[in-house]
Amino acid sequence: MSSGEPAAVSIPIHDHHGKAPATSSAVPAAAAAAPAAAPAVAPRKVSIPFFRRGDHHRGSRCLAFLDFILRIAAFGPALAAAISTGTSDETLSVFTEFYQFRARFDDFPAFLFFLVANAIVAGYLVLSLPFSAVLVIRPQTIGLRLLLLVCDMIMAAMLTAAASAAAAIVDLAHNGNLRANWVAICMQFHGFCQRTSGSVVASFLTVVILMFLVILAACSIRKR
Amino acid sequence: MEGSEEQGETSKAPLSRGVSKGVSILDVILRFVAIIGTLASAIAMGTTNQTLPFFTQFIRFKAQYSDLPTLTFFVVANSIVCAYLILSLPLSIVHVIRSRAKYSRLILIFFDAAMLALVTAGASAAAAIVYLAHKGNARANWLAICQQFDSFCERISGSLIGSFAAMVVLVLLIFLSAIALARR
Repeated sequence: MSSGEPAAVSIPIHDHHGKAPATSSAVPAAAAAAPAAAPAVAPRKVSIPFFRRGDHHRGSRCLAFLDFILRIAAFGPALAAAISTGTSDETLSVFTEFYQFRARFDDFPAFLFFLVANAIVAGYLVLSLPFSAVLVIRPQTIGLRLLLLVCDMIMAAMLTAAASAAAAIVDLAHNGNLRANWVAICMQFHGFCQRTSGSVVASFLTVVILMFLVILAACSIRKR
Repeated sequence: MEGSEEQGETSKAPLSRGVSKGVSILDVILRFVAIIGTLASAIAMGTTNQTLPFFTQFIRFKAQYSDLPTLTFFVVANSIVCAYLILSLPLSIVHVIRSRAKYSRLILIFFDAAMLALVTAGASAAAAIVYLAHKGNARANWLAICQQFDSFCERISGSLIGSFAAMVVLVLLIFLSAIALARR
Protein backbone atom coordinates (compact mmCIF):
# COMPACT_ATOMS: atom_id res chain seq x y z
CA MET A 1 0.00 0.00 0.00
CA SER A 2 2.81 2.46 0.64
CA SER A 3 4.08 1.96 -2.88
CA GLY A 4 0.61 2.91 -4.02
CA GLU A 5 0.98 6.48 -2.87
CA PRO A 6 3.13 8.01 -5.65
CA ALA A 7 1.34 5.82 -8.21
CA ALA A 8 -2.09 6.96 -7.09
CA VAL A 9 -2.17 9.97 -9.37
CA SER A 10 -0.78 8.40 -12.53
CA ILE A 11 -2.53 5.00 -12.69
CA PRO A 12 -5.84 5.22 -14.59
CA ILE A 13 -8.71 3.64 -12.78
CA HIS A 14 -10.19 1.14 -15.20
CA ASP A 15 -12.68 -0.50 -12.95
CA HIS A 16 -16.29 0.05 -13.62
CA HIS A 17 -18.41 2.91 -14.83
CA GLY A 18 -20.55 3.69 -11.79
CA LYS A 19 -17.60 3.74 -9.45
CA ALA A 20 -15.21 5.94 -11.46
CA PRO A 21 -16.22 9.46 -10.39
CA ALA A 22 -16.42 8.46 -6.74
CA THR A 23 -13.03 6.82 -6.63
CA SER A 24 -11.16 9.55 -8.52
CA SER A 25 -12.08 11.99 -5.80
CA ALA A 26 -11.48 9.40 -3.12
CA VAL A 27 -8.01 8.53 -4.36
CA PRO A 28 -6.09 11.75 -3.48
CA ALA A 29 -7.87 11.82 -0.16
CA ALA A 30 -6.92 8.23 0.48
CA ALA A 31 -3.36 8.86 -0.64
CA ALA A 32 -3.07 11.88 1.59
CA ALA A 33 -4.77 10.46 4.65
CA ALA A 34 -4.32 6.72 5.01
CA PRO A 35 -2.39 4.86 2.33
CA ALA A 36 -3.35 1.64 4.00
CA ALA A 37 -7.05 2.31 3.37
CA ALA A 38 -8.70 -0.91 2.34
CA PRO A 39 -8.47 -2.02 -1.29
CA ALA A 40 -12.22 -2.46 -1.29
CA VAL A 41 -12.66 1.34 -1.30
CA ALA A 42 -10.17 2.35 -4.03
CA PRO A 43 -9.90 -0.69 -6.34
CA ARG A 44 -6.47 -0.19 -7.86
CA LYS A 45 -4.88 -3.35 -9.21
CA VAL A 46 -1.39 -2.66 -7.93
CA SER A 47 -0.56 -5.21 -5.30
CA ILE A 48 -3.70 -7.25 -4.72
CA PRO A 49 -3.59 -10.91 -5.77
CA PHE A 50 -6.11 -11.51 -8.51
CA PHE A 51 -8.36 -13.85 -6.56
CA ARG A 52 -8.84 -11.33 -3.74
CA ARG A 53 -9.96 -8.44 -5.91
CA GLY A 54 -13.56 -7.80 -5.03
CA ASP A 55 -14.74 -6.68 -8.45
CA HIS A 56 -17.46 -8.42 -10.36
CA HIS A 57 -15.05 -10.10 -12.77
CA ARG A 58 -14.25 -12.61 -10.07
CA GLY A 59 -16.11 -15.53 -11.63
CA SER A 60 -14.51 -14.94 -15.02
CA ARG A 61 -11.09 -14.71 -13.40
CA CYS A 62 -11.57 -18.03 -11.63
CA LEU A 63 -12.58 -19.66 -14.91
CA ALA A 64 -9.58 -18.15 -16.67
CA PHE A 65 -7.26 -19.41 -13.96
CA LEU A 66 -8.78 -22.88 -14.26
CA ASP A 67 -8.19 -22.62 -18.03
CA PHE A 68 -4.52 -21.80 -17.40
CA ILE A 69 -4.06 -24.72 -15.01
CA LEU A 70 -5.77 -27.14 -17.40
CA ARG A 71 -3.51 -26.06 -20.23
CA ILE A 72 -0.48 -26.96 -18.17
CA ALA A 73 -2.14 -30.26 -17.24
CA ALA A 74 -2.85 -31.09 -20.89
CA PHE A 75 0.71 -30.35 -21.97
CA GLY A 76 2.13 -33.24 -19.92
CA PRO A 77 0.33 -36.19 -21.54
CA ALA A 78 0.72 -34.73 -25.04
CA LEU A 79 4.47 -34.39 -24.67
CA ALA A 80 4.74 -37.80 -23.01
CA ALA A 81 2.79 -39.45 -25.84
CA ALA A 82 4.97 -37.79 -28.48
CA ILE A 83 8.24 -38.74 -26.81
CA SER A 84 7.15 -42.25 -25.98
CA THR A 85 6.08 -42.94 -29.57
CA GLY A 86 9.18 -41.34 -30.98
CA THR A 87 11.48 -43.51 -28.96
CA SER A 88 9.64 -46.76 -29.61
CA ASP A 89 12.06 -49.03 -31.34
CA GLU A 90 12.24 -52.72 -30.72
CA THR A 91 14.55 -55.26 -32.28
CA LEU A 92 13.84 -58.90 -31.69
CA SER A 93 16.61 -61.20 -30.60
CA VAL A 94 15.60 -63.57 -33.39
CA PHE A 95 17.14 -63.00 -36.78
CA THR A 96 17.72 -64.84 -40.00
CA GLU A 97 20.76 -64.51 -42.17
CA PHE A 98 19.30 -61.68 -44.22
CA TYR A 99 16.63 -60.08 -42.16
CA GLN A 100 16.44 -58.66 -38.66
CA PHE A 101 13.05 -58.32 -37.07
CA ARG A 102 12.56 -54.74 -36.03
CA ALA A 103 9.59 -52.49 -35.31
CA ARG A 104 9.72 -48.71 -35.20
CA PHE A 105 7.08 -46.04 -35.21
CA ASP A 106 7.84 -44.93 -38.76
CA ASP A 107 7.00 -48.36 -40.15
CA PHE A 108 3.38 -47.35 -39.54
CA PRO A 109 2.23 -44.08 -41.15
CA ALA A 110 -0.54 -43.82 -38.56
CA PHE A 111 2.03 -43.65 -35.77
CA LEU A 112 3.97 -41.03 -37.69
CA PHE A 113 0.86 -38.88 -37.94
CA PHE A 114 0.21 -39.55 -34.25
CA LEU A 115 3.69 -38.39 -33.27
CA VAL A 116 3.49 -35.23 -35.37
CA ALA A 117 0.01 -34.35 -34.09
CA ASN A 118 1.03 -34.79 -30.46
CA ALA A 119 4.12 -32.67 -30.98
CA ILE A 120 2.05 -29.92 -32.60
CA VAL A 121 -0.53 -29.96 -29.82
CA ALA A 122 2.16 -29.89 -27.12
CA GLY A 123 3.80 -26.92 -28.83
CA TYR A 124 0.47 -25.15 -29.22
CA LEU A 125 -0.37 -25.62 -25.52
CA VAL A 126 2.91 -24.07 -24.48
CA LEU A 127 2.47 -21.15 -26.88
CA SER A 128 -1.10 -20.48 -25.73
CA LEU A 129 -0.08 -20.22 -22.06
CA PRO A 130 0.76 -16.47 -22.26
CA PHE A 131 -2.59 -15.76 -23.94
CA SER A 132 -4.36 -17.64 -21.18
CA ALA A 133 -2.40 -15.66 -18.59
CA VAL A 134 -3.50 -12.43 -20.27
CA LEU A 135 -7.10 -13.61 -19.93
CA VAL A 136 -6.63 -14.06 -16.18
CA ILE A 137 -5.46 -10.48 -15.84
CA ARG A 138 -7.97 -8.94 -18.22
CA PRO A 139 -11.05 -11.16 -18.29
CA GLN A 140 -13.10 -8.84 -20.46
CA THR A 141 -11.35 -9.51 -23.78
CA ILE A 142 -13.92 -11.56 -25.66
CA GLY A 143 -11.98 -11.71 -28.94
CA LEU A 144 -9.05 -13.49 -27.33
CA ARG A 145 -11.37 -15.99 -25.67
CA LEU A 146 -13.05 -16.70 -28.99
CA LEU A 147 -9.68 -17.17 -30.68
CA LEU A 148 -8.54 -19.57 -27.98
CA LEU A 149 -11.80 -21.49 -28.24
CA VAL A 150 -11.46 -21.96 -32.00
CA CYS A 151 -7.79 -22.94 -31.81
CA ASP A 152 -8.48 -25.37 -28.93
CA MET A 153 -11.26 -26.95 -30.91
CA ILE A 154 -9.14 -27.39 -34.03
CA MET A 155 -6.31 -28.89 -31.99
CA ALA A 156 -8.72 -31.21 -30.20
CA ALA A 157 -10.17 -32.42 -33.50
CA MET A 158 -6.72 -33.05 -34.98
CA LEU A 159 -5.54 -34.85 -31.87
CA THR A 160 -8.68 -37.00 -31.77
CA ALA A 161 -8.07 -37.97 -35.38
CA ALA A 162 -4.44 -38.90 -34.72
CA ALA A 163 -5.20 -40.76 -31.49
CA SER A 164 -8.00 -42.80 -33.00
CA ALA A 165 -6.00 -43.72 -36.11
CA ALA A 166 -3.20 -44.91 -33.82
CA ALA A 167 -5.77 -46.72 -31.68
CA ALA A 168 -7.06 -48.57 -34.76
CA ILE A 169 -3.55 -49.75 -35.59
CA VAL A 170 -2.85 -50.69 -31.96
CA ASP A 171 -6.08 -52.69 -31.82
CA LEU A 172 -5.05 -54.49 -34.99
CA ALA A 173 -1.60 -55.16 -33.55
CA HIS A 174 -3.15 -56.64 -30.41
CA ASN A 175 -5.89 -58.70 -31.99
CA GLY A 176 -5.03 -59.17 -35.63
CA ASN A 177 -7.77 -59.89 -38.14
CA LEU A 178 -8.78 -63.34 -39.25
CA ARG A 179 -10.60 -62.33 -42.43
CA ALA A 180 -7.90 -60.12 -43.83
CA ASN A 181 -5.21 -62.53 -42.66
CA TRP A 182 -3.43 -59.90 -40.63
CA VAL A 183 -1.30 -61.37 -37.85
CA ALA A 184 -1.27 -59.81 -34.38
CA ILE A 185 2.29 -58.50 -34.10
CA CYS A 186 2.04 -57.88 -30.36
CA MET A 187 2.78 -61.52 -29.82
CA GLN A 188 6.39 -60.86 -30.76
CA PHE A 189 6.96 -57.16 -30.22
CA HIS A 190 5.91 -56.76 -26.58
CA GLY A 191 7.76 -53.58 -25.68
CA PHE A 192 6.79 -51.74 -28.85
CA CYS A 193 3.17 -52.68 -28.32
CA GLN A 194 3.08 -51.57 -24.69
CA ARG A 195 4.72 -48.27 -25.47
CA THR A 196 2.41 -47.34 -28.28
CA SER A 197 -0.69 -48.44 -26.37
CA GLY A 198 0.34 -46.29 -23.40
CA SER A 199 0.93 -43.26 -25.55
CA VAL A 200 -2.48 -43.63 -27.21
CA VAL A 201 -4.09 -43.60 -23.76
CA ALA A 202 -2.15 -40.45 -22.77
CA SER A 203 -3.20 -38.78 -25.99
CA PHE A 204 -6.87 -39.48 -25.35
CA LEU A 205 -6.46 -37.92 -21.91
CA THR A 206 -5.18 -34.77 -23.58
CA VAL A 207 -8.21 -34.81 -25.89
CA VAL A 208 -10.57 -34.92 -22.91
CA ILE A 209 -8.81 -31.98 -21.26
CA LEU A 210 -8.88 -29.99 -24.51
CA MET A 211 -12.62 -30.62 -24.92
CA PHE A 212 -13.13 -29.43 -21.36
CA LEU A 213 -11.15 -26.30 -22.20
CA VAL A 214 -13.49 -25.62 -25.13
CA ILE A 215 -16.56 -25.95 -22.88
CA LEU A 216 -14.91 -23.71 -20.28
CA ALA A 217 -14.22 -21.02 -22.86
CA ALA A 218 -17.83 -21.19 -24.05
CA CYS A 219 -19.06 -20.81 -20.45
CA SER A 220 -16.80 -17.79 -19.90
CA ILE A 221 -18.01 -16.13 -23.07
CA ARG A 222 -21.60 -16.61 -22.00
CA LYS A 223 -20.89 -15.33 -18.50
CA ARG A 224 -19.20 -12.03 -19.30
CA MET B 1 -24.09 -1.35 -16.87
CA GLU B 2 -27.49 -2.52 -18.03
CA GLY B 3 -28.21 1.00 -19.25
CA SER B 4 -25.12 1.15 -21.43
CA GLU B 5 -25.78 -2.32 -22.80
CA GLU B 6 -29.32 -1.43 -23.74
CA GLN B 7 -28.15 1.78 -25.34
CA GLY B 8 -25.52 -0.06 -27.35
CA GLU B 9 -28.10 -2.54 -28.52
CA THR B 10 -30.73 -0.10 -29.68
CA SER B 11 -28.12 1.93 -31.53
CA LYS B 12 -27.19 -1.04 -33.74
CA ALA B 13 -30.36 -3.09 -33.24
CA PRO B 14 -31.61 -3.89 -36.78
CA LEU B 15 -28.19 -4.85 -38.18
CA SER B 16 -27.31 -6.83 -35.06
CA ARG B 17 -30.59 -8.75 -35.14
CA GLY B 18 -30.15 -9.42 -38.83
CA VAL B 19 -26.68 -10.84 -38.32
CA SER B 20 -27.90 -13.01 -35.41
CA LYS B 21 -30.71 -14.37 -37.55
CA GLY B 22 -28.26 -15.00 -40.37
CA VAL B 23 -25.99 -16.94 -38.03
CA SER B 24 -28.90 -19.05 -36.78
CA ILE B 25 -30.15 -19.80 -40.31
CA LEU B 26 -26.63 -20.78 -41.39
CA ASP B 27 -26.55 -23.07 -38.34
CA VAL B 28 -29.72 -24.87 -39.53
CA ILE B 29 -28.40 -25.22 -43.09
CA LEU B 30 -25.07 -26.62 -41.90
CA ARG B 31 -26.87 -29.10 -39.70
CA PHE B 32 -28.76 -30.39 -42.74
CA VAL B 33 -25.50 -30.77 -44.64
CA ALA B 34 -23.95 -32.71 -41.75
CA ILE B 35 -27.02 -34.96 -41.49
CA ILE B 36 -26.75 -35.85 -45.16
CA GLY B 37 -23.00 -36.47 -44.87
CA THR B 38 -23.17 -38.81 -41.89
CA LEU B 39 -26.24 -40.65 -43.18
CA ALA B 40 -24.61 -41.26 -46.56
CA SER B 41 -21.42 -42.50 -44.92
CA ALA B 42 -23.21 -44.86 -42.57
CA ILE B 43 -25.33 -46.32 -45.36
CA ALA B 44 -22.43 -46.63 -47.81
CA MET B 45 -20.30 -48.44 -45.26
CA GLY B 46 -23.13 -50.51 -43.87
CA THR B 47 -24.17 -52.00 -47.19
CA THR B 48 -20.73 -53.29 -48.18
CA ASN B 49 -20.84 -56.88 -49.23
CA GLN B 50 -18.53 -58.39 -51.76
CA THR B 51 -18.12 -62.05 -52.53
CA LEU B 52 -15.27 -63.13 -54.73
CA PRO B 53 -16.16 -65.43 -57.64
CA PHE B 54 -13.69 -68.14 -56.67
CA PHE B 55 -13.91 -70.34 -53.63
CA THR B 56 -12.26 -73.37 -52.12
CA GLN B 57 -14.08 -76.36 -50.77
CA PHE B 58 -14.32 -74.98 -47.25
CA ILE B 59 -14.08 -71.20 -47.42
CA ARG B 60 -15.95 -68.62 -49.47
CA PHE B 61 -14.05 -65.38 -49.90
CA LYS B 62 -16.31 -62.66 -48.63
CA ALA B 63 -15.82 -59.16 -47.28
CA GLN B 64 -18.24 -57.14 -45.20
CA TYR B 65 -17.87 -54.12 -42.97
CA SER B 66 -18.47 -56.26 -39.89
CA ASP B 67 -15.32 -58.28 -40.53
CA LEU B 68 -13.28 -55.31 -39.38
CA PRO B 69 -14.35 -54.02 -35.93
CA THR B 70 -13.06 -50.55 -36.72
CA LEU B 71 -15.45 -50.23 -39.63
CA THR B 72 -18.29 -51.38 -37.36
CA PHE B 73 -17.33 -48.58 -34.97
CA PHE B 74 -17.39 -46.20 -37.94
CA VAL B 75 -20.95 -47.17 -38.87
CA VAL B 76 -22.13 -46.94 -35.26
CA ALA B 77 -20.46 -43.56 -34.67
CA ASN B 78 -21.91 -42.07 -37.83
CA SER B 79 -25.37 -43.36 -36.96
CA ILE B 80 -25.19 -41.84 -33.48
CA VAL B 81 -24.04 -38.49 -34.81
CA CYS B 82 -26.75 -38.52 -37.49
CA ALA B 83 -29.42 -39.25 -34.87
CA TYR B 84 -28.10 -36.47 -32.62
CA LEU B 85 -28.08 -33.95 -35.49
CA ILE B 86 -31.66 -34.81 -36.42
CA LEU B 87 -32.71 -34.40 -32.79
CA SER B 88 -30.91 -31.07 -32.43
CA LEU B 89 -32.48 -29.64 -35.58
CA PRO B 90 -35.65 -28.44 -33.77
CA LEU B 91 -33.55 -26.68 -31.11
CA SER B 92 -31.58 -24.98 -33.83
CA ILE B 93 -34.78 -23.85 -35.58
CA VAL B 94 -36.01 -22.42 -32.27
CA HIS B 95 -32.83 -20.34 -32.15
CA VAL B 96 -33.75 -18.75 -35.48
CA ILE B 97 -37.09 -17.66 -34.10
CA ARG B 98 -36.03 -16.64 -30.61
CA SER B 99 -32.36 -15.77 -30.50
CA ARG B 100 -32.18 -14.72 -26.87
CA ALA B 101 -31.88 -18.23 -25.49
CA LYS B 102 -28.89 -18.39 -23.12
CA TYR B 103 -28.53 -21.93 -21.84
CA SER B 104 -29.64 -23.81 -24.92
CA ARG B 105 -26.73 -22.54 -27.00
CA LEU B 106 -24.32 -23.67 -24.33
CA ILE B 107 -25.91 -27.14 -24.24
CA LEU B 108 -25.73 -27.24 -28.03
CA ILE B 109 -22.01 -26.39 -27.97
CA PHE B 110 -21.40 -29.09 -25.37
CA PHE B 111 -23.12 -31.82 -27.35
CA ASP B 112 -21.68 -30.60 -30.65
CA ALA B 113 -18.19 -30.91 -29.18
CA ALA B 114 -18.90 -34.43 -27.95
CA MET B 115 -20.28 -35.45 -31.36
CA LEU B 116 -17.29 -33.85 -33.07
CA ALA B 117 -14.99 -36.05 -31.01
CA LEU B 118 -17.06 -39.13 -31.84
CA VAL B 119 -17.26 -38.57 -35.59
CA THR B 120 -13.58 -37.63 -35.79
CA ALA B 121 -12.60 -40.77 -33.91
CA GLY B 122 -14.74 -42.99 -36.16
CA ALA B 123 -13.66 -41.37 -39.40
CA SER B 124 -9.95 -41.38 -38.69
CA ALA B 125 -9.84 -44.92 -37.28
CA ALA B 126 -11.62 -46.09 -40.44
CA ALA B 127 -9.20 -44.02 -42.52
CA ALA B 128 -6.24 -45.79 -40.91
CA ILE B 129 -7.77 -49.19 -41.70
CA VAL B 130 -8.66 -48.15 -45.27
CA TYR B 131 -5.08 -46.96 -45.78
CA LEU B 132 -3.84 -50.30 -44.54
CA ALA B 133 -6.24 -52.11 -46.86
CA HIS B 134 -4.86 -50.13 -49.80
CA LYS B 135 -1.18 -50.24 -49.02
CA GLY B 136 -0.65 -53.07 -46.57
CA ASN B 137 2.34 -53.02 -44.25
CA ALA B 138 5.58 -54.71 -45.23
CA ARG B 139 7.02 -54.78 -41.72
CA ALA B 140 4.06 -56.35 -40.00
CA ASN B 141 3.44 -58.64 -42.96
CA TRP B 142 -0.08 -57.35 -43.46
CA LEU B 143 -1.23 -57.82 -47.04
CA ALA B 144 -3.17 -55.18 -48.91
CA ILE B 145 -6.62 -56.71 -49.28
CA CYS B 146 -7.66 -54.20 -51.92
CA GLN B 147 -5.85 -56.26 -54.52
CA GLN B 148 -8.63 -58.83 -54.35
CA PHE B 149 -11.64 -57.00 -52.95
CA ASP B 150 -11.66 -53.93 -55.18
CA SER B 151 -15.35 -53.05 -55.07
CA PHE B 152 -15.41 -53.42 -51.28
CA CYS B 153 -12.33 -51.22 -51.08
CA GLU B 154 -13.82 -48.50 -53.27
CA ARG B 155 -16.99 -48.44 -51.19
CA ILE B 156 -15.19 -48.10 -47.87
CA SER B 157 -12.87 -45.42 -49.23
CA GLY B 158 -15.74 -43.37 -50.63
CA SER B 159 -17.80 -43.52 -47.46
CA LEU B 160 -15.04 -41.72 -45.58
CA ILE B 161 -15.65 -38.53 -47.55
CA GLY B 162 -19.11 -37.84 -46.13
CA SER B 163 -17.86 -38.41 -42.62
CA PHE B 164 -14.92 -36.04 -42.93
CA ALA B 165 -17.18 -33.41 -44.47
CA ALA B 166 -19.53 -33.77 -41.50
CA MET B 167 -16.55 -33.29 -39.19
CA VAL B 168 -15.63 -29.98 -40.84
CA VAL B 169 -19.26 -28.89 -40.68
CA LEU B 170 -19.41 -29.67 -36.95
CA VAL B 171 -16.33 -27.51 -36.35
CA LEU B 172 -18.10 -24.67 -38.18
CA LEU B 173 -21.25 -25.25 -36.12
CA ILE B 174 -19.38 -24.94 -32.84
CA PHE B 175 -17.70 -21.79 -34.11
CA LEU B 176 -21.08 -20.30 -35.10
CA SER B 177 -22.59 -21.11 -31.72
CA ALA B 178 -19.62 -19.50 -29.98
CA ILE B 179 -20.02 -16.36 -32.10
CA ALA B 180 -23.72 -16.27 -31.30
CA LEU B 181 -22.90 -16.56 -27.58
CA ALA B 182 -20.37 -13.76 -27.79
CA ARG B 183 -22.73 -11.44 -29.61
CA ARG B 184 -25.68 -11.87 -27.29
